[in-house]
Amino acid sequence: MFRIDPQADEPLFAQLVSQVRLGVVQGRLAPGERLPAARELAEALDVNVHTVLRAYQELRDEGLVDLRRGRGAVVMAPAAVDLTSLRAAVDRVAAEARALALPPETVLTLVKEALR
Amino acid sequence: MTPATPRRSPARPTGAGRTRPDDHRTLALLVGAAGAVVTVVAALVALSWSAELPDPVAIHWGTGGADGFASLGAAVAGSTALGLVTSAGFAAMMAFLGRSAANRRVAAGVAVGIPVMLAVLTLGSLWIQRGLADAHDVGGVSVVTAVALGTGLLVGVVVGVLVPGDRPDPTDAEVADDAPRVALRPGERAAWVGRASGGPTVLVAMGAIVLTTVLALVLREWALLLVPVVLGLLLAAMMSWVVRVDEGGLSVRSTLGFPRTRVPADEVVRADVADVSPMRDFGGWGWRAGRDGAVGIVVRAGESLRVERTGGRALVVTVDDAGTAAALLNTLADRARRIG
Repeated sequence: MFRIDPQADEPLFAQLVSQVRLGVVQGRLAPGERLPAARELAEALDVNVHTVLRAYQELRDEGLVDLRRGRGAVVMAPAAVDLTSLRAAVDRVAAEARALALPPETVLTLVKEALR
Repeated sequence: MTPATPRRSPARPTGAGRTRPDDHRTLALLVGAAGAVVTVVAALVALSWSAELPDPVAIHWGTGGADGFASLGAAVAGSTALGLVTSAGFAAMMAFLGRSAANRRVAAGVAVGIPVMLAVLTLGSLWIQRGLADAHDVGGVSVVTAVALGTGLLVGVVVGVLVPGDRPDPTDAEVADDAPRVALRPGERAAWVGRASGGPTVLVAMGAIVLTTVLALVLREWALLLVPVVLGLLLAAMMSWVVRVDEGGLSVRSTLGFPRTRVPADEVVRADVADVSPMRDFGGWGWRAGRDGAVGIVVRAGESLRVERTGGRALVVTVDDAGTAAALLNTLADRARRIG
């Protein structure tokens, strides 16, 4: 299911992008699954087809879908990266933050700074 | 001065006055009669040729030419009986399972199309035997078969298209409280798109297509190539569907673009998930009429979206994630009532 809220601040195409992103992370959208044809989805949501195409292009740039002429947008298998050590590091960060009683926002800001 | 506009008449209860069984039952009678007339006329024409036909006539062809023979009377009786049973059977189906236009169309198409195909087949296969002393000398029947198949299909489709569709039948009645819903903010738009495709019949049909193609090539009977072409079209039309739920309601469309059907949001009584057994509930796969008069778009067993519609109609589509589709359709049906 796709939903858009024209009254929200987030642009329409970005709303679609975050829904697909979430669907992939949560496993609701499995690799190989085809997203609706852009025109179909645009008609159904009563938005411009370019809005949907822009969302699909954004998703392709993020490596979440594969765009092919004639096949439409296909959900890609997430890159097979071993996240074990990263997860362990994140756990350590969380533990340190808890020990220091830092609010999550502060920790996130620090992490974002570090990722820049 | 113009007279005051009459007060708006009170809303009709759901579907009242719209089912009009008499309407489509008269039409069913007409359709059955048309099939029977075609069959009887073909039989009479065939019998009128008796002086010019060999006795017995060829009624069956194998790879080496005609290999089955019968008297003209027996040959005509067989196809006449089949034609009459088909037209009567499908006219009855149209009368009793025809609440939805989709079912009426299919039944009417078959009730006329099959008798036409049989009539062309019978007359054509006899026509090529006229003037022969011995039916063994007759040539092949592949051209006759192809023409019969093509004509029957064409007539069936035309009859189906000519059958009138359902009239709009909106309801003001609320969707039941226990029907599933999704939470939508006011002003938020939502749509669900799913695909119904695959299923066991795809393999069977592919097998049949390959087999008939090989057969036509081996026998060098080029007209027989029409059979795999027709099968291929049928497969493409019946086995892959795009299902969409949006503000307008539910639409189901073959990937080819036709056939298609729609349930407007204001005609949705309620939508639910149902479990479908193709043979038990619909007697097979494809675009079907269910035992209870539901229109079925059935490509596989299991999870499906079932939409109860005004006028005692129902539509069933086998599709994954049917729960979301049902919940969204109910929610949008609620909205349609508020607007209407």
